Amino acid sequence: MRWQLVSLIAALAGIGVSVYLTVEHAATALACPATGVVNCEAVVSSSYGVIGGSNVPTSAAGIAWFAVSAGLGAALWRRPHLLVARLQLAWAAIGLATVLYLVYVEIVKLGAICLWCTAAHVLVLLIFLIALPRPDQGEWQ
Amino acid sequence: MSRPPVKRAHSMRKPVSRTPPWVVPAAVVAGIALVIATFLIIRWYTTPLAQPPLAEDPTQRVVATITSLPASEFDAVGTGSARNTIKAVTGTPLTGPGGRPEVFYYGAEFCPYCAAERWPLIIALSRFGTFSGLKTTTSSSSDVYPNTPTFTFHGATYTSQYIDFVAVETSDREGKPLESPTAAQQAIVSKYDTSGSIPFLDFGNRYVISGATYQVDVLSGMSWQALANALQVPDSSQAKAILGSANLITAAICKLTADQPASVCSSPSIQAIEKTLG
Repeated sequence: MRWQLVSLIAALAGIGVSVYLTVEHAATALACPATGVVNCEAVVSSSYGVIGGSNVPTSAAGIAWFAVSAGLGAALWRRPHLLVARLQLAWAAIGLATVLYLVYVEIVKLGAICLWCTAAHVLVLLIFLIALPRPDQGEWQ
Repeated sequence: MSRPPVKRAHSMRKPVSRTPPWVVPAAVVAGIALVIATFLIIRWYTTPLAQPPLAEDPTQRVVATITSLPASEFDAVGTGSARNTIKAVTGTPLTGPGGRPEVFYYGAEFCPYCAAERWPLIIALSRFGTFSGLKTTTSSSSDVYPNTPTFTFHGATYTSQYIDFVAVETSDREGKPLESPTAAQQAIVSKYDTSGSIPFLDFGNRYVISGATYQVDVLSGMSWQALANALQVPDSSQAKAILGSANLITAAICKLTADQPASVCSSPSIQAIEKTLG
């Protein structure tokens, strides 16, 4: 259960990071200086910084994902439940798959790494690892 | 006769080896590290190489192609996929060396966003005058959007009966110093380019643009000739981005020239943009 508290805290931190990136997206110009590969502006302002050609920032989807994760983490922290735990694992797997795609975009398509994006990605990974079934606590926590 | 109950040993079963709890998470992390390493290798293989600058004749052909696009194509594209980031400013009207309203460009050859913005800027300015001495180059190989094909204003001249164009390229594509702004130019940059970012465009101290007006990735991996060809197709993503941006720049210039020449400024698409500029 204490791991679910960590998951809840990670999700809340992820909401904070995603809100920051959403605000940053609104304020970012397509401009230099933006030298080097650690470059949030290049990532956030790229065509991949919005969902499917819309005006909705990708980080807004991050806010929604972390909010659901926080809800699942809070529910499991209060009372372990098999169905909720499975739901958390499925949700975390979706998040991790999305993170892998976004890392692909950063490295292969843009050649730029955004540190704030990376922080969000690490939090998703942490939530996924916590959601994994743990052999020392039965099938599910 | 019943046997006395046998006291069960605490554990009768042979211990079974169990997977330590850290193995699965460690395997997941290792798998992700492997995937990221694969991405890095793909990146290394797919990064476009720096194209050598074109010789004079091919350069002139490319410039001739992009500066002789029909007016109907500009109208067909409108603002395309360009972002209208033109900002109205106030200040003493800026006039150039010829006494005409000045368009001032401040950028650098290494900068990929400057590389992108030069395309629509050259196209728009060529509707009011003529460039000579433009040379091809590419943005930095080590920055984002590496080796973006473009031109340099360093060593180029521009003549027009409507406007003056002044350009400062502060650095070459390696980041080495190239040109320095005058004190007056630096004052303009300090006053209007508050974010300190390039490219920066000042239209007579009436409008400014900070940054590129379209996504640089539409130029990725393309040659100058391929881009020139793509600009002749209004539906191409390059035409929508570059000609859309050129229309935005054209509209800002038309505001400076009191809509002269009419053949350019009276077009429906330019008039529509002008109404949004204030």
